[in-house]
Amino acid sequence: MKKLILAAAVLGLMSSTSFAGNIGVSMANSDTFLTVLRKGIEKAAADAKQPIQIEIADDDVAKQLSQVQNFIAAKVDAVIVNAVDTSATAPMTKAANDAGIPIVYVNRQPADVDALGPKGAFVASNEAESGTLETKEVCKLLGGKGDVLVMQGDLANQAAVMRTKDVHDVIATDACKGMKIIDEQTAGWDPVKAQDLMTNWIAAGKKPAAVIANNDNMAIGAIKAMKAAGWNMKDVVVGGVDATQEALAAMKAGDLDVTVFQDAAGQGKGAVDTAIKLVKGEKVDAKVYIPFQLVTPANMGDFMSKN
Amino acid sequence: MTDTSQDSGKSLTGLTKVKRWPPEVSILLVLLGIVLVFEVLGWIFVGQSFVANKQRLSIIVLQVAVTGIIAIGVTQVIITAGVDLSSGSMVGFIAMVVASFAQVATNERAVFLSQGWVDLNPIWAIMVGLALGAALGWLNGFIIAKTKIPPFIATLGMMVSARGLAKWYTLGQPVALLTDSFTWFGHSFPVLGFPVPRPVIVFLIVAVIFHILLTYTRYGKFTYAIGANPQAARVSGINIGNHLIKVYTVAGLLSGLAAVMTAARAESAQPGMGVGYELDAIASCVIGGTSLAGGVGRITGTFIGTIILGVVTSGFTFLQVGAYYQEIVKGIIIVAAVVIDQYRQNKRRKSA
Repeated sequence: MKKLILAAAVLGLMSSTSFAGNIGVSMANSDTFLTVLRKGIEKAAADAKQPIQIEIADDDVAKQLSQVQNFIAAKVDAVIVNAVDTSATAPMTKAANDAGIPIVYVNRQPADVDALGPKGAFVASNEAESGTLETKEVCKLLGGKGDVLVMQGDLANQAAVMRTKDVHDVIATDACKGMKIIDEQTAGWDPVKAQDLMTNWIAAGKKPAAVIANNDNMAIGAIKAMKAAGWNMKDVVVGGVDATQEALAAMKAGDLDVTVFQDAAGQGKGAVDTAIKLVKGEKVDAKVYIPFQLVTPANMGDFMSKN
Repeated sequence: MTDTSQDSGKSLTGLTKVKRWPPEVSILLVLLGIVLVFEVLGWIFVGQSFVANKQRLSIIVLQVAVTGIIAIGVTQVIITAGVDLSSGSMVGFIAMVVASFAQVATNERAVFLSQGWVDLNPIWAIMVGLALGAALGWLNGFIIAKTKIPPFIATLGMMVSARGLAKWYTLGQPVALLTDSFTWFGHSFPVLGFPVPRPVIVFLIVAVIFHILLTYTRYGKFTYAIGANPQAARVSGINIGNHLIKVYTVAGLLSGLAAVMTAARAESAQPGMGVGYELDAIASCVIGGTSLAGGVGRITGTFIGTIILGVVTSGFTFLQVGAYYQEIVKGIIIVAAVVIDQYRQNKRRKSA
């Protein structure tokens, strides 16, 4: 028995010493959401006493690829990538696979998600959930009918495309087919552009029952424009995604009706845990999903300190 | 193009010339043409007027007020045959700093909460923004004047560094929940039932001041002289280095002002703010007839150029042009506006 404990201790020691190497992390940019995610990675790594090195790719595909190549050249134990362009991940996957280094994509689903190999994984929330949760709640608040304006994020971004598709899918269901999309435009995730877009819509005589935005920043911009036009926010349902601090404050004020919490910190932790497992040679699911949660005035208190 | 350079030439050499239409008239016609197209298409496809709508007239200017303020600073920079690529990044960084001096005390994540710098009089945030803008602009000018490196490179460096500073300042966190007394500057007030946004008022005031400054003062005459012919400017006793530093400092100051307006409008600041503003500003200048070769350009032209960009943005939403097509068409309109302007000016010169 003693021997067994000793052996286990030695094994444990070995695995922790053999695991002193780095995990290289390349983040797409440092917006609000990804900063929370990055902090989740930092915290999970600190808790696991796992050294990490974080680089930011500034939304530059080429820069991200060189960061990953540099990590591989430095013989890191694993790479975590938050992809800048989800359709340009194949070269990074290949570089990591060729070097036998585990690669974990986080938050943004790579186009080659089904071809990451045994040493690859994808950790995220299922993007199809966010827009669906948001739109279903808006549909419920509208009683299944009404005119809707849709504010899209950056059109080059998978999340914007996906969340917008969710809106269409929900509206196509029987319960919500009384809803009608009267216009759909991009405000590039930007609150000021969203404010301008909404004002342009108001000027064009649009009177929506609901505004569904791909994220909270834009929802808040839309709210500001509607308030400036003298609209009563009780008459318009506004939905966003992210549950940012500002969004929760707007919800508390009665302006924002629906948002969706994406557990950024949870995704960061999930990515680190998955990477560590892969390094140790443990088997992991190719896709690890951290669930989205619907946030309404009823439960917003639970999320105040989370993002 | 030589048409307006004679304006500056006149002031230096005392030559007089035959009185003609100011060059802005042709770009004004382009603007009216674009408005007319939207008006006609509006009646055909939407069944309502494009222009006869108070709210739309207000948003047309409001959505370009910030880039317009920048464009005014950039116009004088381009007149000296320089360029300023750093304004968008400076807006991002300065907006972060400005917002951090305008947060409410109830925000437990306020940047300066522990120092007690919350619920401050908005004058502090504004002063910090203007001072920081002027300082960064001065640095641009100092580097250009002392090292003689091309302005493109100097301001490119500032563009990259300022964006970095914006991200570093709060390590990527947005700065939100600002005081009402500060966000007041981003709101509208009604004049005879017409919503007048304060950023638009600021834009108009800045435009008038700089029109006067560039047209009637020594500052303006030096600016044109340096751009038109630096050698001639030097021999006529202008200290080119000193003047360039002034010009870039003023451009930075206006970027700082633009940052204040952006933060007040968004009621928050994020490190990604202002991306691409420098290019919108340069587009406004160029559409308005400012020559990248230097020596030529006027604030009135830049003002019209800025309005053209606003009209196009609003017109697209008005006509419900699909989001995927808007940028494609916008690029074409920018180039076409300049081509039409050039064509008209050339034709007029030949006939004269």
